[in-house]
Amino acid sequence: MTAVAAPARPAGRPRPVPWSKLGWVTWRQHRAALAGVAVLLGGLAVYLLITGLKIHGDYQAVVSCHPAGSAACEVAGRPFAGDHQTAGYVVFILMLIPALVGVFVGAPLLARELETGTFRFAWTQGCGRLRWAAAKLTLLAIAVTAAAGAFSLLFSWYYQPFFTEKFDGVLAPQLFVLRGVQYPAWTLLAFAIGAIAGVLIRRTVPAMAASLAVWAGLALGTPLFLRKHYQPPLVLKGNGPSYNNPPWVFGQWYIGPHGAVASQQTIRNVVAHAPASVRNPVNPNAATAYLSAHHYTQWWTYQPESRFWHFQLIEGGWLLALSLILLAATVWLVRRRAA
Amino acid sequence: MNVIETSGLGKRYGRTWALEDAALAIPAGYVVALVGPNGAGKTTLLHMSVGLTRPTAGQVTVLGSEPAGSPAALDQIAFVAQDAPLYKNLPVADMLHLTRNLNRRWDQQRAEARLKELSIPLDRKVGKLSGGQQAQLALTLALARRPALLVLDEPLASLDPLARHDFMASLMAAVAEDELSVLLSSHVIADLERMADYLIVLSHGQVQVAGEVDALLAEHCMLTGPVAAADDAAKRHAVVHARRAGTQAHLLVRSQRAAEPAPPGWEVSPVGLEELVLAYLREPGAAALPGPVGPVARATQDIGSRA
Repeated sequence: MTAVAAPARPAGRPRPVPWSKLGWVTWRQHRAALAGVAVLLGGLAVYLLITGLKIHGDYQAVVSCHPAGSAACEVAGRPFAGDHQTAGYVVFILMLIPALVGVFVGAPLLARELETGTFRFAWTQGCGRLRWAAAKLTLLAIAVTAAAGAFSLLFSWYYQPFFTEKFDGVLAPQLFVLRGVQYPAWTLLAFAIGAIAGVLIRRTVPAMAASLAVWAGLALGTPLFLRKHYQPPLVLKGNGPSYNNPPWVFGQWYIGPHGAVASQQTIRNVVAHAPASVRNPVNPNAATAYLSAHHYTQWWTYQPESRFWHFQLIEGGWLLALSLILLAATVWLVRRRAA
Repeated sequence: MNVIETSGLGKRYGRTWALEDAALAIPAGYVVALVGPNGAGKTTLLHMSVGLTRPTAGQVTVLGSEPAGSPAALDQIAFVAQDAPLYKNLPVADMLHLTRNLNRRWDQQRAEARLKELSIPLDRKVGKLSGGQQAQLALTLALARRPALLVLDEPLASLDPLARHDFMASLMAAVAEDELSVLLSSHVIADLERMADYLIVLSHGQVQVAGEVDALLAEHCMLTGPVAAADDAAKRHAVVHARRAGTQAHLLVRSQRAAEPAPPGWEVSPVGLEELVLAYLREPGAAALPGPVGPVARATQDIGSRA
């Protein structure tokens, strides 16, 4: 900033209040909320680090055990399997963090000013409400997104052994959103939803509730209805997709001998006539083989694991675009909102 | 330069006009009292002047020709909203720091000196201060911005009599110190009587009176005489408000010619500001506005003949 000459301003136009000053204002007013997020994420990070080291240790025990599949190795692998169960709860908690950011950082940001009337103070200061809103939204958005980004890296490391061991597929909905660009993108979206809910609803608690509801709707609706359509799914005939590379399967049906889709009841009836070895199979493919011999073909639709990054970028892209639209709309609403 | 200039300014909420067709030109250097009953449109007018509310019709410019609410305008206008909203969870020192960082111009020394004078501790939370102290803090923050125009919305409404007195004393001292124009609203004219030198009366969303206090007082007087002659007198004078008490009639009249001799049988006495304001508020159709005198005088005359 020293050597570069500032662009000339028309005479009489005041130089705007610098962003650094507005940065201080943002920090001073929202440090409590940011500290809350930091304590929460920091605590979880320490927990992930400690349990992550244990998981990696337990995984080493599995890997280094010879001969694999022996009774001794089955015993040696038990702690690792136990870790996987615990990790399930961690995943559930982590999925809620973006919602908390939206509710406790995003929603009160403007709602509290509007509710308590302090916007009449803030919006009549020399910096102008446009710059004020832009500074606050930008800085807080960057802070929560960066924190979530760092956290998703930590989580990827934490969970890596379970992916390597094929305990889960990387496209599994609850894990997909915690990794790559998803976690920061969903956090940013939650923040943006909270911010716009605050300026629209003008009351803190209703804005919190509304932002939670909208975020939950999107977070549940996306894996259920939207994500599988990012790319046409693969359709597979015969035995299920290889579990060496667990895919995200969301459709499975049988075509009967006459070329029509067979109902579950029909399939059950057919299998009921099969020999006991097929009905209580050691090999899960035995039933499929039996059905196939009777001209019932199994079909699958699925998304292969190789599409992980492609899906990450598609979803991250629209989440980012939606977040930016919401943030811009929030600034616009602040600009035109009448007292 | 006019600190506030409006033409055809109006604001409608739903079907009601909070303010309608307001034409004002307030010159710099005055302490302007904006007076009117609750709901007259005072806050609406002030909010439009600082850009918090957008006009439905007409326009408002401030400090020459800056559009109200533009950064250039806000840079030179300090506004204290009703009930002096401040961040109650911040200590006073941080409230100062915050306001400093939200503004281009800031006089920290002045702010600290004023707070010291008022014995407001810097480390106390704003929410823990008394109502009077919060109002004083809001005024301090506004003055430390070194504004050309200070706008205060009902600054006294929530204060007890002592705090009210102290606040007005602080404000008068600041006005004496700076070349500061002040626009403040109140529904109690008595509060502003001693310091206002420009008066605007708003009633039902209409500007009823606008002008220098001295000029307004000079061109109004009270005629006291027999009731029997009241109608006759009303024909010859622009009566703003007529009051009958027994056999006596009191006519508050606006005379275009200064020092007009009293009609025979009538006694002339000067009017006070409060009396003047009340007379206009009781007659919402009457107006005393600068500009073309004809229609105004006629309107006043009509009221007079009705009275």
